[in-house]
Amino acid sequence: MIRFKNVSKIYPPNVVGVEGISLHIRPGEFVSIVGKSGTGKSTLAKLLFAEERPTRGSIEIGGWDITNIHDRDVPLLRRQIGVVFQDFKLLPMKTVYENIAFALQVAGERPHRIREVVPAVLKIVNLEPMIDRYPRQLSGGEQQRVAIGRALVHSPKVLVADEPTGNLDTVTTREIIDLLKKINEFGTTVALVTHDREVVNALKKRVITLEDGKISSDIEEGRYKL
Amino acid sequence: MFVSSYRVTKFAFQNFWRNFWLSVITISMLVMTLMTVNILLVLNVVTQQAIELVEDKVEVSVYFQEYVEQETVDQAVSYLRGLSQVRDVETITAEEAYDQFVARHANDEEIMASLQELGENPFGPTLVVKAHDAADFEIILDALENPQFRDDIRDKDFSDYEQIVERIRSTTDRIQAFGVALSVIFLLIAILIVFNTVRIGIFIHREEIGIMRLVGASNWFIKAPFYLEMILMSSIALAITLIMLFPALAALEPQFGVYFGTQSAGLMEYFTQHGLVIFGLEFMGLVLVSIFSTILAMRRFLRV
Repeated sequence: MIRFKNVSKIYPPNVVGVEGISLHIRPGEFVSIVGKSGTGKSTLAKLLFAEERPTRGSIEIGGWDITNIHDRDVPLLRRQIGVVFQDFKLLPMKTVYENIAFALQVAGERPHRIREVVPAVLKIVNLEPMIDRYPRQLSGGEQQRVAIGRALVHSPKVLVADEPTGNLDTVTTREIIDLLKKINEFGTTVALVTHDREVVNALKKRVITLEDGKISSDIEEGRYKL
Repeated sequence: MFVSSYRVTKFAFQNFWRNFWLSVITISMLVMTLMTVNILLVLNVVTQQAIELVEDKVEVSVYFQEYVEQETVDQAVSYLRGLSQVRDVETITAEEAYDQFVARHANDEEIMASLQELGENPFGPTLVVKAHDAADFEIILDALENPQFRDDIRDKDFSDYEQIVERIRSTTDRIQAFGVALSVIFLLIAILIVFNTVRIGIFIHREEIGIMRLVGASNWFIKAPFYLEMILMSSIALAITLIMLFPALAALEPQFGVYFGTQSAGLMEYFTQHGLVIFGLEFMGLVLVSIFSTILAMRRFLRV
């Protein structure tokens, strides 16, 4: 599904984001990418959805070589990869329904398709009763669920979650992780970038640990080791 | 495609309304640019009218010596008519010149007495030459320096008209140069303001644009509302210009008419006849300038 071959990302003048990363994530896997702050976790996530291009090496997603992906092809890639961030990135002037529908609208989906997909996604993220609320009227966990819902509307093959629980309390964190596991069970590959020890340990899934931009360990059913 | 176009249009209108005052400033500047260009056109029409009016009255009087035979005069007429610059040549015989002089000064006893004293017709034949263009008179006057006629011609009278035409031309040329400079300044300001409008638009919508990129909106979908917004502003600017221009023309027309001694100065007629071309070109120019500024601003500030 996802294949990194000796990938390095060097920011000018000479700052190492990641260096010599080689990994293979199989379809339907749930992988946690862990590490201290500044070890390249977010760079790795950005390389996945082509927010950054590698300086060296190659990246393949679903057989598509995105190493030097053309700008015009990035939107197509983004429709196959859902992305969730710590700060939710919701539009404050749009309701829950509109925030989720927005992802389909900008991709040119027809209104009847939007009317089909959005309620289905709202059901998955359990936000049906809140469709008319604005982000400011929601808790952090609910806002993150809206963001996850928005990431799911294109039925992505991969979901990249970059510190999705960073702003949430323990109970809400558990809810969000449960939701990610549920999405993974539907067949979506999940790459969870986190530095939350409890989350990683509770998951009992594959853990890739980064240190100074390099993979220091890659263990099936791993634990947070740092 | 239709659905996307509808959404792009919706976003463009949203941008317009959300930055209403910025849109107003941008449109005002575009209107000022268009108005300056149209004032230049009005000036052009009026100048042309004024010059035509003067040129129509301009003529060169060629006075022959009193001894010159009619045959020589006829040869001069044929010669002048052969020149492409000459519109018309009228012949006044020595007798007609005498009669006209007498009629003109019938009440002036002193002049009449002097004429009596001379005892003979002191006037020679005269030719009244009209040209197509005021600038042609120089060529016509040069042509009359032909040795065949030079010695038979007593005098040529033109200088006053030449000065008038020259004065009109130099004044309007100066005004036009000033108008062109003003248009260029307004155009540059318009480019800067459009650039700034787009920059602020991108800044205001940076969150939305970021999310659009994140969820897979195409580059076209992100950029098109900005282009469309500028086309919308150009259309509004043109509409406002037309709304201001035509009543102004209607008000000015009679004033110029009085000045030129005609019923109409032809302004309204000119703008009605050529309106489609004039305003079509103005609109296209405005759109091109706006899009040029938008491209500059997006290259600088919008990362897609």
